[in-house]
Amino acid sequence: MAHESHTKTLPADLSAPPVVNTWRTRALIVGVVFSVIAAGLAFADGSIDHVLRAWLLGLVLTFGFAVGGLALLMVQYVTGGKWGLLLRRPLEAMSRTLPLVFVYWIPIAVFQGKLYMWANHGIVDQALKLGQITQDQVEAIDHAIKWKAPMLNPTSFVVVSVICFAIWGFYTWRLNSLALKRDADSPDNTPFWIKKFENLSGFGILVYSLTMTAVVIYWVMSLDVTWYSSVYGLLFLVGQGYQVLAFAILISIALSQYEPFKTVLRQTEQHDLGKFTFAFVMLNIYLGFAQFLIIWSGNLPEEIPWYLDRIRGHWGIIITLDFIFHWLIPFSLLLSRDIKRNKKRLTRICQWMIFAKAFDLFWLIEPNFKDAARNLHFSWGILEYIAVPVALTAFWFAFFTTRLQTRGLVAINDPHVVEILEPEHAHA
Amino acid sequence: MPPREGTYGLLAEFDTPSDLVRAAQKARLDGWRRLDCYTPYPVEEAAEAIGFHRNKVPLVTLIGGLMGLVAMFSLETWVSTLAYPLNIAGRPTYSWPAFIIPAYEWTILWAGLSAAFGMLALNGLPSPYHPLFNAPNFRAGALDDKFFLCLEALDPKFDLLDTRAYLETLAPVSVVEVEY
Repeated sequence: MAHESHTKTLPADLSAPPVVNTWRTRALIVGVVFSVIAAGLAFADGSIDHVLRAWLLGLVLTFGFAVGGLALLMVQYVTGGKWGLLLRRPLEAMSRTLPLVFVYWIPIAVFQGKLYMWANHGIVDQALKLGQITQDQVEAIDHAIKWKAPMLNPTSFVVVSVICFAIWGFYTWRLNSLALKRDADSPDNTPFWIKKFENLSGFGILVYSLTMTAVVIYWVMSLDVTWYSSVYGLLFLVGQGYQVLAFAILISIALSQYEPFKTVLRQTEQHDLGKFTFAFVMLNIYLGFAQFLIIWSGNLPEEIPWYLDRIRGHWGIIITLDFIFHWLIPFSLLLSRDIKRNKKRLTRICQWMIFAKAFDLFWLIEPNFKDAARNLHFSWGILEYIAVPVALTAFWFAFFTTRLQTRGLVAINDPHVVEILEPEHAHA
Repeated sequence: MPPREGTYGLLAEFDTPSDLVRAAQKARLDGWRRLDCYTPYPVEEAAEAIGFHRNKVPLVTLIGGLMGLVAMFSLETWVSTLAYPLNIAGRPTYSWPAFIIPAYEWTILWAGLSAAFGMLALNGLPSPYHPLFNAPNFRAGALDDKFFLCLEALDPKFDLLDTRAYLETLAPVSVVEVEY
């Protein structure tokens, strides 16, 4: 009984299966439908304030997929491993959606004055006039705006964001073009390529964590000018790992009904990815809770209002649900080995995790605005938080599918290719 | 020929994990139930091949973890609210956020210890004696580069001659009789 008889061979055609076109059509339909709903809601609400806030949520979410995908792509080059080979092309496709994320960012840059107090003092005056904040709070806000002006001003917002986009663009271009060259090269040069990608990615991960921290401070944290947290960048970094892994598992399992992923997705790697995701679920709550515990222990007047804005006035319901959605449910389910090895159930959990990420962003973003702080209330506008992110994510997904179709789905010039085609019992 | 008293089973030796898994699958299909595989490293398909799908270690770990969680959280609640109620920065005596971290640590500690000791207990370890080590080829190969399938004498289908002939059809490197 020869050992080779169990080994699989890669199909000759490694390109994305035709079903990807169907996914794109569906995504575009969802995108259009939810855009129309978003427009209707804006009309009913009589303002575009919530469209912009929800747009920011959609931007942060799709930014997480694109740049988080780039980061995980670099991580897998540094760590190696068969899971990395499996996800390499999908992650590359995610990283190449960066231009769309840049387009999504433009309205935020244009309408800064409607979102950020430091960009438009009228927001503060308006909140005071409506009695949403007190004179004391205005003084604290003005002090913070004045103190942080060298960093938080419309010009540096644009300059820093554009520089960060340029840096991510450079890494995206470099990693993606070199990957094609590597596949075209002879297998004898593989050690050279492995080193090359390691060196590029190792430094890239460092650059990513700094640039990512910078933009989430600008885009999200600065919505509340008085508050700061030193773990903020890391929270988003881990959050991106959370959503990127969930999405990568979803796409791998969906692709595994067709060639070539049918051949390369083994239960072993699916299980490994499930365990990896579980680690991010843990790390996510660890950092989120650590930030809360430190601020709660300190109980300082500069810090604690940020949490009070997000707990009082019915926001307690949202944070409780956030805890359940974002941590308790994925944690409890991913504990089970059987669920991690079951394609259908793991898919459900990953879909849930992406929803939970968006829900968490809602809790992070909306209470920054003084009409909503400590006052969760219904308006037509608040439904934009469903319509706009769904539309933006759907269009992003449609764009992602076109990126996926531009190259073969399996990187071939890699020593792991042989291993991933072996039967599962051949390796411990 | 019925097994002599003192026969543990018949041990077939294979060179590759694939051969072992195929042989084990066939034996299970042919109705063998008292059988086991022995490999130098974990081969999950071999475990599946002999119908071994789950064990109770996860359950023991879960129960241990929950016990640690409840024990520490209760201890902290009792200490802070009943035994030694202290005013710390004006906070309520029942300040649950502060209790989370020790409770979490105890969850991990108890889950870890339960997993380790539960695994040993369910494995029947420590086990100072096992009849398989009476087979010289097992002694030499089981921790190194050989893969073994043992059909045990407790199986109602077991018969010294027929079973040996059956094992020979699975193309092993050798078949040896193992004594207690």
